[in-house]
Amino acid sequence: MLVPYLLVGAAFFTLGLIGFVTRRNLIIMFLCTELMFQGIIVNLVAFGRYPPSGLPSLDGQVFSLFLLAVAASEAALALALVVLLYRFRGTLDATVWRLLKDE
Amino acid sequence: MLAGVLLITLLTLGGVGLYLAMPGGRLNIGRAALVVLAGAAAALVAFLLPNLSAGADGGWFIALALIGLWGAIRVVTHRKPVYSALYFILVVIAVTGMLVLMQAEFLAAAVVIIYAGAILVTYVFVIMLAQQEGGPARYDRQAREPFVGVLTGFILLAIIAARVFTAGFGEASLPPVDETTAGSVQNVGTHLLTQFVVGLELAGVLLLAAMVGAIAIARRRHTGMVPMPPTAEPGEVD
Repeated sequence: MLVPYLLVGAAFFTLGLIGFVTRRNLIIMFLCTELMFQGIIVNLVAFGRYPPSGLPSLDGQVFSLFLLAVAASEAALALALVVLLYRFRGTLDATVWRLLKDE
Repeated sequence: MLAGVLLITLLTLGGVGLYLAMPGGRLNIGRAALVVLAGAAAALVAFLLPNLSAGADGGWFIALALIGLWGAIRVVTHRKPVYSALYFILVVIAVTGMLVLMQAEFLAAAVVIIYAGAILVTYVFVIMLAQQEGGPARYDRQAREPFVGVLTGFILLAIIAARVFTAGFGEASLPPVDETTAGSVQNVGTHLLTQFVVGLELAGVLLLAAMVGAIAIARRRHTGMVPMPPTAEPGEVD
């Protein structure tokens, strides 16, 4: 049962990655990072439940709990930044903010 | 061999379907994308069937995987941000079901409470706060380089899938989960407060710092940085 979980986790991660690269809305871009987190949670727990060698352990689940804490902090900070950016320019378009891009 | 063919079919159909469904693609046809994605779903089921354990778990897993992947595709492709957020809740629910299948009950409850209950509410608030007048904005109707993005992503997915598939993770010795390794509150709590107690404290510090930082960022008045007027029309993607 390990392989199907890993494949689905990889699919979640890749879809999140594609969304992050292709969408232009700042909020959707950060939502796609949360989608990547979902794939990683599936991966971690699957490896803990069906380890390739050894006995099942809880390390994957505990690590996923830490991941939830990091995801919550990231969402709070990222959305605060998004609100700040929206206040300056009145748009959520990521391509408006390209001062750092070498052109 | 059959599995390899199925995998390639699955990835091709999935990539084409996702590209068709992307907002603003030249071929943005709803029905065609749906048909192609349904073909990809059929290939996924055919690919997963030999790898699944017999019994009810396999059926549940297939249903949850299909629901979750459909939700994920809609998160990426939907033009309205609010619907993207709601479809993300669907993804969270599907992932929670998978966690329950893997006997991680406490983590499943925590994911629902934290993601669907806290993080997504924040997202929906911000989406409403930054609502655009008159339907989806231009940057929501047009994806940025959908072809290159989808192609790169699915090449990555193909590499990962092929590697996972050929790694030979043994299915023969499926160890049973006993009293001490089930994901109950007691076991996870014991694990968290003995072996990982330093990490737990650090996570608390991180959350505190993030909270202070979020308040500091969001409460900043217009000082220092001069707010610029909204540009008439955001520049083209080059």
